[in-house]
Amino acid sequence: MSMQEGAPRMRRAAAVVGIGHTDWVGDWKRARAGEKPADCYGYAMRAFSAALNDSGLKREEVNGLIAGPTTAYERLGEVLGINPRWGGQADAVLSVTQACMAIEAGLADVVAIVYGNDQRTAGTQYGGPQAMGGDAFLSYVYHSPWGLTSQGALYALTFQAYKQARGFTEAELGEVAVAQRGWSSMNPNAIMRKRITLEDYMASNYVCEPLHLFDYCLINDGGVAMIIAEAERAKRMCERPVFIEAVGRSDLNRGATALEPRITEFYLPAQQQAAARSYEVAGVGPEDMDVFQVYDSFSVHVPLALEGYGYCAVGEAGKFLREQRIGPGGKLPTNTGGGHLSETYMQGWAHQIECVRQLRGECGERQVPDCRHVHYTSDVAGKAVSLIYGR
Amino acid sequence: MGSDVAQTPSPVQGLYDGPMWEGIRARAMCLQRCCSCGTWQYPPGPGCHACLSEDLEWSPVSGDGTILSWAIFHRQYLQAYPAPYNVIAVRLAEGPVMISNLEGEQPDGNWIGCHVRLIYAEMPDGAVLPRFALTD
Repeated sequence: MSMQEGAPRMRRAAAVVGIGHTDWVGDWKRARAGEKPADCYGYAMRAFSAALNDSGLKREEVNGLIAGPTTAYERLGEVLGINPRWGGQADAVLSVTQACMAIEAGLADVVAIVYGNDQRTAGTQYGGPQAMGGDAFLSYVYHSPWGLTSQGALYALTFQAYKQARGFTEAELGEVAVAQRGWSSMNPNAIMRKRITLEDYMASNYVCEPLHLFDYCLINDGGVAMIIAEAERAKRMCERPVFIEAVGRSDLNRGATALEPRITEFYLPAQQQAAARSYEVAGVGPEDMDVFQVYDSFSVHVPLALEGYGYCAVGEAGKFLREQRIGPGGKLPTNTGGGHLSETYMQGWAHQIECVRQLRGECGERQVPDCRHVHYTSDVAGKAVSLIYGR
Repeated sequence: MGSDVAQTPSPVQGLYDGPMWEGIRARAMCLQRCCSCGTWQYPPGPGCHACLSEDLEWSPVSGDGTILSWAIFHRQYLQAYPAPYNVIAVRLAEGPVMISNLEGEQPDGNWIGCHVRLIYAEMPDGAVLPRFALTD
């Protein structure tokens, strides 16, 4: 197969050699009791220490640092005591990507990507007049005179149009929340572990109709970190390095403020292009994936991703969710930690750790046997990214 | 006006939004139309997104549109919007998509594809909003 024009070359340039996270179950309980276990830097520091310990590296060997979106890069570097030779700020999937880019370019060879967020105890608002993210995404605030606020509502509009276009049902969407709770029931790190049924889902309240309460992510505090090293170094130092096989990305910005890419195309063209680029570079396709991880601030992301990244034909996500299934015992294990809906809302960061754990074989009861390829995808605000991890 | 009247959330007022809101207050909404290629755009911006021309004119819209999607809020986020209330996405006849509300009669079942026309709603605090109603 010839390389498509503009396909990225970066393949297996780097590997994850350390992972760490905070005790979000314990911190959830403390936060509900009115305590403030840490601020965003505190969570970031705990996660970084855990990841460094997991890697066996000394802090002095870390020469790249990428900070998540909620901590300022300089202050995070100060808190962690790191003077790197490469640094930056990015969300989860782009932190992994930027670490690989810095390593491929020789700008660093051991990069820490670190996230901390005290969104629960800080009372971060994702809806209302002070909605978070309005400075970066005009759609989050532009329509407030008409009462359109909260990101859930943007996905409610998306899902309503998607339902109609595809003949998809609310009960089929309910399969996502039920499946992910099935996974989280086997994950000691998950905040929500009580299994739910489709009947529970259908009986739950609407927040913004047609989305139910169970379609919404949690809001909790926590931190996540990973240490990413140059591939040859990773092989020498690490028993089970997890390689970043390929990255593909495609963005839909035209018409974004008026929600056009969401409600008319469901991000499909961007997902298809991001998928094609990453599959071509990695030399694998959806049929090779053992685990699928989807950024799930809302359950709606999952059917969109099943179609967009090629797991089923366009228009067949509902059938796929009902018949092939994505929960324990299903054909495509998806969001095996429980995802944002049931494990922890770490804005895509905890999904990266779950990818690594599945490939290392560390997932205990929820481990997918002989896991060789894990696919992570996100499509936040029409920025479709496809990231393939492998052993 | 009593101070207990809920304030309508203020619109984003970037450098290019002013003439649109002036038109709305005069109950004659105008949007930017490109003098070079004829493309209409919403929200307003510095130039034409289709051809990058800065030669734009403010032109009145026909007010005709079609519903692309809708949602019903069952939770209150804003003082001026007690639940339940609806939000719709409308494809204007001129091309752009606009987020707004459907006033008056509501369709049975599916709203998507219903034809709507622009109306001007006066909020309790005196703010004027472009909204839509079903076409007879």
